Amino acid sequence: MANPWIAVGALALVAIAIPFGMMAVSALLRPTVREQGKSAIYESGEIPTGNTRIRFNIQYYMVALLFVVFDIETVLIFPWTVIYRDAVGSAGLFAALVPMLVFIGVLVIGLAWAWRNGAVRWVKSPRAEQRRREQQQ
Amino acid sequence: MVGMVGLLEGLVLQSGSAGGGTDSAPFADAIGGLLGFGANMGPGETLIAAFIGAFFIGNLMLAMTGVAGPWAKRKITAAFTDRLAVNRVGPFGLLIIVADAVRLLSKELIVPDGVDRPAWDIAPILMAGSALLGFAVIPMGNGIQLADPETGLVYVFAVSSLASLGLVTAGYASNNKYSLLGGLRSVAQNLAYEIPLVLTAASVVLFAGTLQMSEIVAAQTEPLFAIAGIAIPSWYAFVNPFAFVLFLAANLAEVGRNPFDIPEAPTEIVAGYQTEYSSVYFVLMYLGEFLHIFLGGAIIATLFLGGPAGPVLPGIVWFIIKIWAVFLFTQWARSAVPRVRIDQLIEIGWKGMLVLAFANLVLTAIIVGLIA
Repeated sequence: MANPWIAVGALALVAIAIPFGMMAVSALLRPTVREQGKSAIYESGEIPTGNTRIRFNIQYYMVALLFVVFDIETVLIFPWTVIYRDAVGSAGLFAALVPMLVFIGVLVIGLAWAWRNGAVRWVKSPRAEQRRREQQQ
Repeated sequence: MVGMVGLLEGLVLQSGSAGGGTDSAPFADAIGGLLGFGANMGPGETLIAAFIGAFFIGNLMLAMTGVAGPWAKRKITAAFTDRLAVNRVGPFGLLIIVADAVRLLSKELIVPDGVDRPAWDIAPILMAGSALLGFAVIPMGNGIQLADPETGLVYVFAVSSLASLGLVTAGYASNNKYSLLGGLRSVAQNLAYEIPLVLTAASVVLFAGTLQMSEIVAAQTEPLFAIAGIAIPSWYAFVNPFAFVLFLAANLAEVGRNPFDIPEAPTEIVAGYQTEYSSVYFVLMYLGEFLHIFLGGAIIATLFLGGPAGPVLPGIVWFIIKIWAVFLFTQWARSAVPRVRIDQLIEIGWKGMLVLAFANLVLTAIIVGLIA
């Protein structure tokens, strides 16, 4: 029985070797023509204005925070799913199921709280709201 | 209804014996046997055998991506929109694959002003590499399964979500506003649908009682019931169709296909995170995207469609048919379903899919508990 993680490591080598191989082939084939203006970043054919580090919707951050909570929770659920059927056999349905129901219940209450506080509602910009009001008039 | 519960009971009891497997690497063992390394291979011999196996799997997936990207995708989309698509080069236009590979690789690599150089180079490699890594634990039939660790399912999800890192790196490092927005959108989307995806997979683990991919496949071989003498196998798509539909939808979001294709959204933000990539880097991103569709198909096939199981044809052929069926489904959705807006996407993900995934998990746990 070979160690599976050595095999995974071998695939990791291949997964790095394939992109590098393609890059090497491409480096042999492709031309390099230096030309002014070619390297400008794309902004619909216009000359780029301002900095790239623009302000963006805070909602991306809120969603990422929420994700951290639920991701850790899925990590904690997985061991339970693996032993669940054996646990029902040895400790009974009540003892195997109810603690996890309580755990999921706490999380669902957390989700409901985030939901009520608008963490998963996309905040519209004031300008978009204003434009919508103007269109209605 | 009573009969159904009885069937499920039999199913749970038979698959109960499936748990408690051990780590192994079947494909590496087989290749080691062919090379004459004997039963107890050392680490070096294992690495050589596994490397040959990994090379085979990597090239199989590359070949499938090669068929899918330049040829099948065009043909499928053309069939949906009543056009012909590529038909000049070779039979059915198949040689366009070679022509496109050479064409794309021989494009000039334009490095835009002010890109964050190491990060900008790493992102495409990360996207292509992470998708390929997931195939290590997928059982493809005929003994082709590179590694079979006990934690296989968790490994697949861990590796495939590395792509989000590549997406946000590409978006941030490109020094382009469209790329930044595309990267942020894609990461918000992947985060929102990752949890329903993983929770739905957990509901399958409740039935199978193991995270080992080969055991999950083995648990699906027993007949569920028979219709007109044909035994229907207990694939989890038949046992738990609700979880199957949830998983398919969440998978569409994970691979960024319609209705969840806002990370690219060509009519809004040019091409999202890949706007500034050209030449081989573009090929790598495209490759990573298609590898991810195939990896998603492979996970769906393993968890819900009995892996490589099927009548008459050998396992590997069935496996490829199944993942191509999932690919066809993504392309169908791409042609047929309109794109959702970002606010709708977040609401569907967090208020719809997540709640449904929790409901599915709890209901599955209660049903499995009652009949176990």
